[in-house]
Amino acid sequence: MTESAAPRRMSAKARPSDRIFRSLSTGSAVLIMVILAGVAIFLIAKAAPAIAADWTKGDLASGTTAGHTDFWTYTGPLIWGTIWSAFIGLLMGAPVAIGIALFISHYAPRRISGVLAYLVDLLAAVPSIIFGLWGIFTIRKFLLPFQEWLNAHAGWFPLFGGTPSTTGSTMFAGGVVLAVMILPIITSITREIFLQTPRLHEEAALALGATKWETVRLAVFPYARSGMLSAILLGLGRALGETMAIAMIMSPTLLFSLRLFTDNQNSQTIAANIALNFPESNTLQRDALIGTGLMLFVISLIVNFAARFIIGRTGKTGGSKKKVPALNPTVALALDDAASPLDALHPHASSAHPEGLKPSQPEGPRA
Amino acid sequence: MKLKNVAAAGAIVLASALALTACSGSNNSGSSNSPKPSDTSSVDLSSLSGTITAGGSSAQANVQQAWTTAFTQQATGVKINYDKSQGSGGGVTNWLAGSYDFAGTDAALKPEQFTQAQTAPCGAAGALNIPVYLSGVGIIYKLPGDPKVKVTGQILAQIFAGKITSWNDPKLVAVNSGTTLPNLKISVVHRSDGSGTTANFTTYLSQIDPTDWTWAAGTAWPNNVGSGQQGGSGVVNTVEAGSGTIGYADQSSVGSATMADVQVGTSGSTFSTYSAAGATAAFAAAATDASQGAGDLTKKLDYTKITDASAYPIPLLSYDVLCKNFKDSTQGKLTAAYIGFIGSSEGQQVGAANAKAAPLPDSILAEIKTSLADVK
Amino acid sequence: MTATAIPNAPAPKRRIDNSLTSGQLPRLFEVYVLAGALIVSGVLFAVLGFSAVGWLVVSAILYLLFVGIFSAVVENRRQAVDRLVRGVVVIAFLLALAPLLSTLIEVISRGAKDALNPAFIFQTGGSHYDPQTFKVTTTIGAWQSVVGTLIITGIATVISVPIGMLTAIYLVEYGRPSHWMNRVVTFLVDVMTGIPSIVAGLFAFSLFTLIFGPKAFSGFSAAIALCVLMIPIVVRSSEEMLKLVSMDLREASYALGTTKFVTITRIVLPTAISGLITGVMISIARVIGETAPIFVAASFTNNFNSNPFANAMSTLPVMAYTGYKFPSTDIQGSYDSAWGAALLLVILVVILNLIARLVARLFAPKGLR
Repeated sequence: MTESAAPRRMSAKARPSDRIFRSLSTGSAVLIMVILAGVAIFLIAKAAPAIAADWTKGDLASGTTAGHTDFWTYTGPLIWGTIWSAFIGLLMGAPVAIGIALFISHYAPRRISGVLAYLVDLLAAVPSIIFGLWGIFTIRKFLLPFQEWLNAHAGWFPLFGGTPSTTGSTMFAGGVVLAVMILPIITSITREIFLQTPRLHEEAALALGATKWETVRLAVFPYARSGMLSAILLGLGRALGETMAIAMIMSPTLLFSLRLFTDNQNSQTIAANIALNFPESNTLQRDALIGTGLMLFVISLIVNFAARFIIGRTGKTGGSKKKVPALNPTVALALDDAASPLDALHPHASSAHPEGLKPSQPEGPRA
Repeated sequence: MKLKNVAAAGAIVLASALALTACSGSNNSGSSNSPKPSDTSSVDLSSLSGTITAGGSSAQANVQQAWTTAFTQQATGVKINYDKSQGSGGGVTNWLAGSYDFAGTDAALKPEQFTQAQTAPCGAAGALNIPVYLSGVGIIYKLPGDPKVKVTGQILAQIFAGKITSWNDPKLVAVNSGTTLPNLKISVVHRSDGSGTTANFTTYLSQIDPTDWTWAAGTAWPNNVGSGQQGGSGVVNTVEAGSGTIGYADQSSVGSATMADVQVGTSGSTFSTYSAAGATAAFAAAATDASQGAGDLTKKLDYTKITDASAYPIPLLSYDVLCKNFKDSTQGKLTAAYIGFIGSSEGQQVGAANAKAAPLPDSILAEIKTSLADVK
Repeated sequence: MTATAIPNAPAPKRRIDNSLTSGQLPRLFEVYVLAGALIVSGVLFAVLGFSAVGWLVVSAILYLLFVGIFSAVVENRRQAVDRLVRGVVVIAFLLALAPLLSTLIEVISRGAKDALNPAFIFQTGGSHYDPQTFKVTTTIGAWQSVVGTLIITGIATVISVPIGMLTAIYLVEYGRPSHWMNRVVTFLVDVMTGIPSIVAGLFAFSLFTLIFGPKAFSGFSAAIALCVLMIPIVVRSSEEMLKLVSMDLREASYALGTTKFVTITRIVLPTAISGLITGVMISIARVIGETAPIFVAASFTNNFNSNPFANAMSTLPVMAYTGYKFPSTDIQGSYDSAWGAALLLVILVVILNLIARLVARLFAPKGLR
């Protein structure tokens, strides 16, 4: 497809305002590169002494980093704990989040969906410290009976085994709070995206006799795929980097463990470990903690990279390519009737080409 | 060394980038209104003005708040920002970097830190460790019916090492004759964050029972027993919310939690609960001078020496660390005036009234006064 | 995915599957099933010992089972799947609503005592010392934190939103997806979402110590730390929303002879405004509740300070966190003010959200759903 170059070709006129705006936005993009370069240099330069140091003697052998032979034996369990807790949170949070988004955009009665959307937006705005406090005072106690029950009846399953927690400060409680925290983020973005699905696609599907679910599956999901992935990645980013809530709720240990319901076998996460130990650390120990932060950086890099790779592999349907499905502009116009500012200018623009309905199939990724 | 330069380069790249977005930042380093010079021995507090930036030990969180209020009410021109979120280690780290006027810490500067302070931030005259806050580590627990429990140092070491796991363990029953202990699992609660309280408590355990407590003392909880909670308040909360729980916390965060009586010494039948007088007596018995330089008031606590019946066996001593020679002498005078207030009998009374602190013995207060006279 | 697959998905067995000819369940069928599921599970739990949570969970499972089976038998497989999904979606919604409502109720019930007290909001927290008894009594107040929050988050927003949005505009409107810079920026933004907040704080503080010397604690350096956290979120969400603006709108605009600048500012941005505002609000919410970078870069204080360029500054989340983590000897009082600060923070965010919605409505084109 050649559409990527299309907007450039079309911008024939260039006024001063154009040039200024263009250089402003390019400048911002450059600025982001510079900021990140700065952060990366800062991280690497701070982390290097601790990574290179001998952990069996000196500062690193005492205090908050005591008891490890080198940087990697210290960071390994932390990396595992970070990925594991984020995975647990995402596993519980993401499907529910997409379900809610779907409920608000397609299932809820029109009249209440606006209120619900606002409610979710509001919850996306609840700061993480509050979820931390809520986790400490409410959720720990609430989850205890459930955890004990599963531990007693399904303790053979590695995740549920071990000595059950008596305090409630478990990986599971942390995961639940993470799930609740990322839920509104994923929901608000996917909801916006679901709402942007070209209505004609949906109406066409319904007219062909599709049930609601089939409409969603065939018309909404393919269109929203890239956006859903982005939303989930944003949620994952928050789950990976969540600091205070995990630090407050979970009873951490530095080890490789799958256990969810114990007091002393919860794999600690990088961000929480930094928050807990940073205050008491001296310079070299702080450098070691920043080194673990560098690893978190690398993790999110790999996760994002993998996700983009996967979405790129599983069909060329997602992303920008989706937005300009047809080479024929009349078809493109007819395909999308999303109410637009242009409607005011051309009230019939979107309905003027009923024949555009017919070739709606170029959309089909599996066709 | 090279890497530091790279870091600087990275930040400078950023600085130039920020110039795009940030219009200006005013120079705020160290300059403060200059107060009239005054004699340290009898400072006229109302003539002082400026801002003291400090931070460190969270054990001192409450007492610093009280001292700050009491001090600034008399020295109305002074603002004091004490960052209790930093912790002892972070306080010292920031102080060594020159960010603080003084640091609160639960452990005096280590010899290498003391030497390091002579290059930066203090110069050749070096630093002073001033003991300011005396308190105790409380053993808190929660049992159905709230019975009063007595523990020995050995029992504590075994509980926190995971060797005693039930409340009706014969060893506990033996020292608690007359109290019925429930058949309940012991849930150990400890700090999950690095902490001076943990360092104090593990030092106590390793001195009093090295056979059961085999880990080195340190700010991080060393073993895999029990549940880790963030901060003294996290430990207290979790102990209070549970049943059969036991934990340790600094007096200022204990609140209304039930505290165990701890055996004084390693034998005998004297058990004592925390009191300010008990901590003072323990300090008098355990502290030996470990000065690292002229005027420095580092004290070494030997818990095994605490045998007096009136003493509380797990005292906690916290210091404020400052330079002898400040780069900015008005800032030095200001800081010395504040620490001087803390080390006065009034300051110690304020600590006792508001943070359950134990007043330091008068002899120590006299030493503090002498040491601070040299600060400029 | 092909339309041809839709009308005759299952091979007709008895007769053609068609909602007009196949059997239909009564309109309120789902309500009946729900009632049935609640009763059956209620009876079950009455026998086993009652638990509200277990009752609801089992009811939900039973409901899905019943609906699926009934619909599959009476109607057809497609209808059954549709009804099942409807059930799952509604249950997901209720499931998520529970913790979220619980959070809100908890914050409101615990925080209302302080947060709704005007003295708490508009008074600087302070304390009074009585030299006779040596007692220090604290007076509640969050004004210093309210102001600090507004200043620090305000500066961060003013810096991040233009940078983030312009970058998103660059990515969507100017850069070619295949161009190296486009790829690099997208990649870097992805990476930036993974910066731990405390590292951002350290970075900003180290930067400012290089410029202003070691005592660089200031609201401004905290704001810069928040920028590092905020920019990637703004870019990510804005980019997604701009991409959704259909190409024909742009093409139509160009066809009318407008310049690119006009097309972007008059057509693309207004069309996407609701989504853009959502993104900005999410990013503000993400950083307004940060504690760790504030501690590192702006230190901590109980004093009022409205100068972002010098000295320590307090914010509401910092106040909530310290109230919880370092309670005074009056532990309950500290918790109360912690929850009060938390509620105040939520209220602040709600107000900001309302303003943002209003702005969005003002700029959104008419007829946008």
